[in-house]
Parts: sequence; structure tokens; C-alpha cells
Amino acid sequence: MKILRILSCLILAPLFLGATEIQSYELRLATAPDGSGAAQATLRLTSCTPGQLKFPLGFIQIQELHLLEAPQGARLETGPTNGQMLLHAYLPEGLAPEATLRFSFSIPQAFFVPEPGLGEKSNLPEGSRLFRHAFVNTQEGTIGSYRFELLFPEHTMAQSIREQLPKAKKSEVGPRVLLTKLDGRQAAVLQLSTLKQGDDTSMLLEVVPERKTWGWLLVGLALAAIYLVYFRDLVAPKKA
Amino acid sequence: MAATDTTQPKAPSLHELLDMEKMVLSSKIREAQSAAERWMRYLGFPGGIALFLLVYYLPAGAGLSASAQAGAACFALALVWWVTEPFPTYVTSLVLMFLLLVTRTSNAKAIMDVLGMEVIWLNLLAFILSSMLVKTRLAKRMALWLVLRFGHKANWALLAFVILQLALAPLIPATAARCVMTLPLMIVVAAIYGSTQEAPNNFGKNLMLLNLACISVLSSVTMTGSSANLIAVGLIENMGGHRVYYMDWMRVGAPIAIVTMLAMWIIGQKLLFRIKPEDQVPHLEGGLDLVREQYAKMGPFSFAEKKALAIFGVVLFLWMTDVFHMRWFGVEISAPFAALLGAVIVLFPRWGVLQWAEADIPWHLLIFSAGAYAGGLALDGTGAAEWGVRMLFGGMNLRALPFGVAFTVVIAVMMYSHLLTTSKTVRTLIMLPIIITLAKALGWDPLAFALPAALCIDWVVGLPISGKPNVILFSTNQFSVMDNFKYGMVACTLGVVFLVVSAATWFHWLGITPAFWAMPQ
Repeated sequence: MKILRILSCLILAPLFLGATEIQSYELRLATAPDGSGAAQATLRLTSCTPGQLKFPLGFIQIQELHLLEAPQGARLETGPTNGQMLLHAYLPEGLAPEATLRFSFSIPQAFFVPEPGLGEKSNLPEGSRLFRHAFVNTQEGTIGSYRFELLFPEHTMAQSIREQLPKAKKSEVGPRVLLTKLDGRQAAVLQLSTLKQGDDTSMLLEVVPERKTWGWLLVGLALAAIYLVYFRDLVAPKKA
Repeated sequence: MAATDTTQPKAPSLHELLDMEKMVLSSKIREAQSAAERWMRYLGFPGGIALFLLVYYLPAGAGLSASAQAGAACFALALVWWVTEPFPTYVTSLVLMFLLLVTRTSNAKAIMDVLGMEVIWLNLLAFILSSMLVKTRLAKRMALWLVLRFGHKANWALLAFVILQLALAPLIPATAARCVMTLPLMIVVAAIYGSTQEAPNNFGKNLMLLNLACISVLSSVTMTGSSANLIAVGLIENMGGHRVYYMDWMRVGAPIAIVTMLAMWIIGQKLLFRIKPEDQVPHLEGGLDLVREQYAKMGPFSFAEKKALAIFGVVLFLWMTDVFHMRWFGVEISAPFAALLGAVIVLFPRWGVLQWAEADIPWHLLIFSAGAYAGGLALDGTGAAEWGVRMLFGGMNLRALPFGVAFTVVIAVMMYSHLLTTSKTVRTLIMLPIIITLAKALGWDPLAFALPAALCIDWVVGLPISGKPNVILFSTNQFSVMDNFKYGMVACTLGVVFLVVSAATWFHWLGITPAFWAMPQ
């Protein structure tokens, strides 16, 4: 039994020891007002070994996949989709131990408006849209860090972060999803370190137009004025 | 003495003062005491609206969601209204809850669920226990004893409460429980010194506010004084890499808390709310002899009093032994459930001591708390609170400053940040990781910032919404929101000063802080 275990370890070891590792995985998606998006991903690879590297992409449907930077002779193809798309990178012989893989793609529609079920009411006001991004590390190796940046369409902002998973640990500083400005646009950044096989991260955002209703101003001013008139006896000099 | 001063209104009889069953926690708004207060109320309403509009219509800042911005605007409005009191505070809470919904800061379920929070239950059940103390006359007996023992002069009566709260703090971590236990005593002692909810005087203000400060601040004497302290200890260990032991905490926390409270005992009565000479002695015809006579007349403990004592003993025992519950019962009986058990016995037909209708439950107070918690949770849930702290620290170039200056900024932010949150736990979880990371980024030992900052966690004394005891004591109508703010700010500022002086001296000698004027590496 012991010999069998040692043998199986020896056989399987090269599969893990020799696998290309993803040190960091960065993805930026810039969305347009019509909901379409242009994305660019950068993977920093270490312990590069020739052969096929399968890695997940947190989208179901993509178009116009282009390889922008890669070791000479490398290829990138879309693989099967099962919940999320899988990409296949073919790394050639004679690679340096460290390499960068950069590619771009587009998304026809990044946002969605959920249709209320029969007898249900919509809980999304006019003009609001949802964006969801979920990423599962389906490959064997650990991904050192995953960072996804979403640039909102011009003149829009996040109404709220409806989901940000996994919940930040006590040892982590800052939230899982950080709202910020990138390239002068409102943006959301989802980040997680050390994703082992099966680990996942996701965010769900509600995006709304930046423009605010003037209703609050009108109601507020009217209420303040009415109060100042009808409650002026509070400060009126007391009659003798 | 008041009794001999013919210009004073006739003092109430001791019997009237001690008829606590007639005392109910008022939901009426306090009368404005001065012209300034009347103007503040008048302008508070439009002032709150103006601040709401300002925050709401500010250009969207980087990193702030629309719901966070709206939440901050709603909370700012409520804060102004709570302080200036154009409405009763519970009406402001209801307005806040409505605004949180219509500005889409929170959803209806999140807002309504607040009324089911543990803290609200604890308040409700604690008031049932408090009513039991009143109904069985146990509170009257304890108050008479306290006045006879320490009540010859106002300042000694006040000091007696400091000592009482100091003794209770390490035993009962639940601040609301400590508050409710001692509330009937406070009401009677205040009444004996002529301070009632209809006509409060400066003795009543000092008594309530000193207790308010002591209940919260003295929780920082030990690291088990509140659960938030323990969270801070965990964060310091996990993120800062320093294990803080019980005595480590106590040797730095206890002196600061005790010295500040003693200072407030003096400052309160001598500077903030000067007690008139006639209020420095009991307002009783016949003086303390009458109190002695009344105490003697009570005779030995009645059966109902003994029953009340036993019930309270059971609840107290459960509050004090919560760390052993798992081992004993296989489940932790938390503070509200211990109080719930007490309430069941209190209200039990035939064997109990109280009927439901006899319990003085201030529902207006629970609504006020619910609104404050809904607002506080919205600030936390939307990320507005964390964003504010990050912006504050990010906007200052602390790297260019000596340790002492950066330390002062960090401690001041930690100390005064309680004005914008309603939960010590949430504040600890937001602030401590940021402070530890900041210390690391500046090149200082995280312990140098984090341990003194953790000592500020329990100093939630600035507003009635800042802590559970504050809400409870506010219901006595003995002080206004502004009085609370004034007293709380002085206490917090003293705390900051003592912490900064300590950082420059004995914290440094203990090896916790570097030299005060040392520059970052």
C-alpha cells in the first residue's frame, strides 16, 4: 500500500510541480453607455512550462479575442463554457520562467435588468442596471491575486454594492469591492488574494445615472420655509 | 439649606420623592431652558434640511456609492435634529427611518429588522427588571442607604456613584445592564437633591452625565469590559503581531479611565454645570434625619424585596459568568437572554412580583434607539463610515510629522469618531484595521497606535445615541442633547490629552510608544 502511494506521488508530482503558475490576474472592463464593454486582461506567469495552460475568464460570452502580449509562438483560444468561459493558452518551448500574457476582448452586453417573475414587482427603479461578475478558479494551480476593475459608463455611478464575496477576513484591510475613480471615471475594483482551486469571488453592483433629482431640493426648501413661518412663535418675545 | 430658605418653593416631602411607582420615563419633549436653546430648536429644523441637501447634492466623490452618500445625508440631518431637538428625538428617528427607505439607502426589511436587534431586546427586558426594583421598593431601600451613607453633600453622593460604577464595570460587561441596575438609584438620589424630570437642576445633570460617562468609560479599565475591547485585542494580535494580555491592557487603560472620571467628577460640578449651594444638600424638610427615619420605617427586607434580590442575583450571575456558559449549559446565555429569564420569573403569575401593566417600558426610547441603529448600520453597510475615515487619514500627510503629532491625530479621530457611529463593534472593525495599517505604513510599531486607540473604544459619551446607557439615561429628562454633547466632549478631550501625555511619558517608558518627537524612518 505504501509503495502504491509513493508510486502515485511520483507519477502525479510533475503534473503539479511543473505546472505554469498564475502569479497575478488583472482584468479591466471599460463599459460604454449602451452596455457593451471592452476588456483587457494581464496575467503574470511564473514557473512557465511549455504546453497548454487552461484558465478561467469570469464571463460567459465574449467576442473579438486578441492576444496583445505573449511569449513568441504562444497562442490563445476560447475553450468550453460551463458557468464561465475557459481560455486555452498554448505556451511554446524555450520559455523564460516568467512571462506575461495580455489579451483583449469585448462583451456585447455587460449589464442586465432582471425581469420580475409572474406576480412579482420590479425592485429596480427606472434607469438602474445591474452588473455581476463572478470568477471561479477552476484550474489546478493557485492564482496569487485576482483583480477585476469595472469602469462604469460615463455619467453613471454605483448606487450600491449588492454582493461582495467572499466576506473580507479580519486580517484583510479594506473591503472586497472598492469603489474608486480610474482614468477619471467612476469604477469598482474587486480583489482577492490566493485563490486555490475551487475558490471564487464575485460582486453585484447596481449602476445608476449620476444625475440626481431636484425633488429633494424643492421638498426640503418648501418644508424649511413652512416650518420657519408656522413655528416662529418658538422664538417670539414672550408677552407680559 | 433649602428647607430654611423662604424664597425657595416648598420642597417636596420625602414620601413624595420616594413614590417611585408614580415616576414614569417621560416621552415629552423637554422645555427649552433659554433663549439660545429656543433659537437652536427653531433653526435646527431648517439647519438639518440644509445639511441633508448639501451632502446629498455634493458631486459624487471617488469611492462613495450613491446609497452611501444618501445615507450620510440622512444621518447628518438626524444628527442635527437630535442635537437641536426641533422634534422629540424618537420622531427624528422615525423620520430617519423613512428617509433611509426613500433615498434607497437601506431596504424596508433592513430598517424594520433593527427593532428586533439584541440591543433593543436588552433595553426592553432591562426596563422590566428595573420596574421590579421599583415596585418591590428595593430601589428605594438602596437609594436611602446610599444617601444616608454618602449623601450629606452632593459631591460625595456623586463620588459614591463613580465608585459604584467602577466596582460594577469589571463584573458586568453589558453597559445597558449596569445602567438599568443603577437607574432607579440615580432617579431617587436626583429627586432627593431636588432634581426631577419636570424641574431638573444641575445636580441631576451632573449625576446622570457622570454615570453616563462612568458606565461607558470605565469599561475600558479591563480588556473584558466590552466585547469590542476583545475584538480590538484580536485585531492587534492578528494584524499588528502583538499579543495583549489582561494586565497589559489594565495597566494602561485603568489609570486613564479612572483619572478622567475623577476629573469629570470635579469639572462637572465646578465648571460645566455648577451646582447651586442650595442644591448641594438634600432638598428635604427635616434633612437627613427624615431619611434615616424613613429608612428605619422600612423595617427588615420584605419577602418581595428578597424575591427581587434573588431574581436579580440570578440574572447578575448569568451576566457575570457568560464565559462559562458553554461548558455548563452547552449554550451561551447572552445578556438579553439572561434578562429574558429574569423577566419571565418577574412576570410569572403568583410567583412573580410584577404584572405587565406595571412595567415602565419607555417605547419611545426603543424607537429612538431603533432609528439611531438603523442610521448607524446604514452608514456602515453602505461603506460611508469607512470611506470617511479613509478620506480623513488619506488627506493628512502624517508621514512628514513626528510620532507625537501623528499619534494625537489618530487618537483624536478614534475618540471623536464615536459621534458618527452607534456601535462600538462596528467602529472597532472599521477603525482598528485602518490604524494598524497606517502605523505600518508610517513605519511605527502598530502597538504604539493600536493599543491607545483601542482604549478609546468604550468612550461613547458624546450623544444620547452614542451608546445604550446614554439612551436609557436620556429618558430621565434630566439633561438635554446639548448638555450631553458638552459633557461628552469635555470628557473625550480630557481623555485625548491624558492619552497624549501618557504616550509622551509612561507609555514610552513601558516600551509601548517611541519617543514623542521621533520622526518616521
